[in-house]
Amino acid sequence: MHSKKLGWLLLAPTLLILGLFGIFPFLYVVWVSFHEWNPFAANPAKIFNWAANYRKLVFDAQFLASLGVTMAFVFFAVVSEVIIGYLLAQAFMKDFPGRAFFRTIHTLPLIMAPIIVGSIWKLMTTPSIGIIPYMLKHTVGFDLNIGTSAVAAFAITVIMDIWHWTPLVTLTLIAALVSLPSEPFEQAQIDGANKRQIFWHLTLPMIRPALIATVFIRLMDAMRTVDEVLMLTGGGPGSATRYVGVHIFREVFPRTNYGYGSAVSVIVLYLTIVICWLLYVSLIAPRTRKGSS
Amino acid sequence: MSEERKSKTRQPGFLPIETNWFDRLFIAAVIWVALSLFWMRFLEPLGLSVWISTVISVVLAVIIVKKG
Repeated sequence: MHSKKLGWLLLAPTLLILGLFGIFPFLYVVWVSFHEWNPFAANPAKIFNWAANYRKLVFDAQFLASLGVTMAFVFFAVVSEVIIGYLLAQAFMKDFPGRAFFRTIHTLPLIMAPIIVGSIWKLMTTPSIGIIPYMLKHTVGFDLNIGTSAVAAFAITVIMDIWHWTPLVTLTLIAALVSLPSEPFEQAQIDGANKRQIFWHLTLPMIRPALIATVFIRLMDAMRTVDEVLMLTGGGPGSATRYVGVHIFREVFPRTNYGYGSAVSVIVLYLTIVICWLLYVSLIAPRTRKGSS
Repeated sequence: MSEERKSKTRQPGFLPIETNWFDRLFIAAVIWVALSLFWMRFLEPLGLSVWISTVISVVLAVIIVKKG
């Protein structure tokens, strides 16, 4: 009994912080999402409107379009980051001259604030002064203009995200690969397994927990991308890069539509949780053994 | 008896994964939100009140929590 009390006492600071900065703001957003609230309007009071914001949301073509491009963005960005991150982790596991230097250089994007990443990529992709349009023009004759081409803008936001976040995947996978025991690999080599078999039957299952955790983290982060994209493209051209985070920003700040913005936020959180849960269920959840009690 | 012990001794339900009561409540909540949004988008314009989906969701929730 004493140890139980002590346990709760030790947990109390964490629970307090979680409650104050996690649970309370979440419940507040859910509450606001059931109201019409524009604090800068003639009537700044919150007006309870049941599920009107959610009803508006399911018919909002801009929101549904933003959800579509966000899903495409998340898919391309996360898949590329995991593949490139794994290849880089494997490369950094090998001994070569300047390994420590390259490892440090490759980690640098990770420490940059997203708004700075957006600024750098804006400078690099501006047609008149950017190095990327210049190089593309003078090497393959391609005119890159993210201000007019929807596909180019989308691709550049994906590449920017990959550039920014692949080091996180690499670092996590390096940690996972370093901690693997050498015996199973030696045994597999003795048994004549080739590199592909070793990867599919040993490396991948053994790093799976770290890989799944990384995918979850990146998926949740990519779903709420705002500042980088807002800085780089402003959500354009048209609505080509108007991801849900940008959509929420536009609803809440320029339009000061707090109630509707909160409803969209709640649904995006819901979708993020559902996607992560489905991934968890399909990959790691223990299966029911029918007939056992 | 702890929840972990209870879930170990419990007969497997119709869900394909091992769950405790909180997992099943979560699944029920996820279905409730999805069904409500679907209802508001496609069936409410035909005159079917969203309260019907709420009643269906509650019934489903009871079934999932009890038998899932």
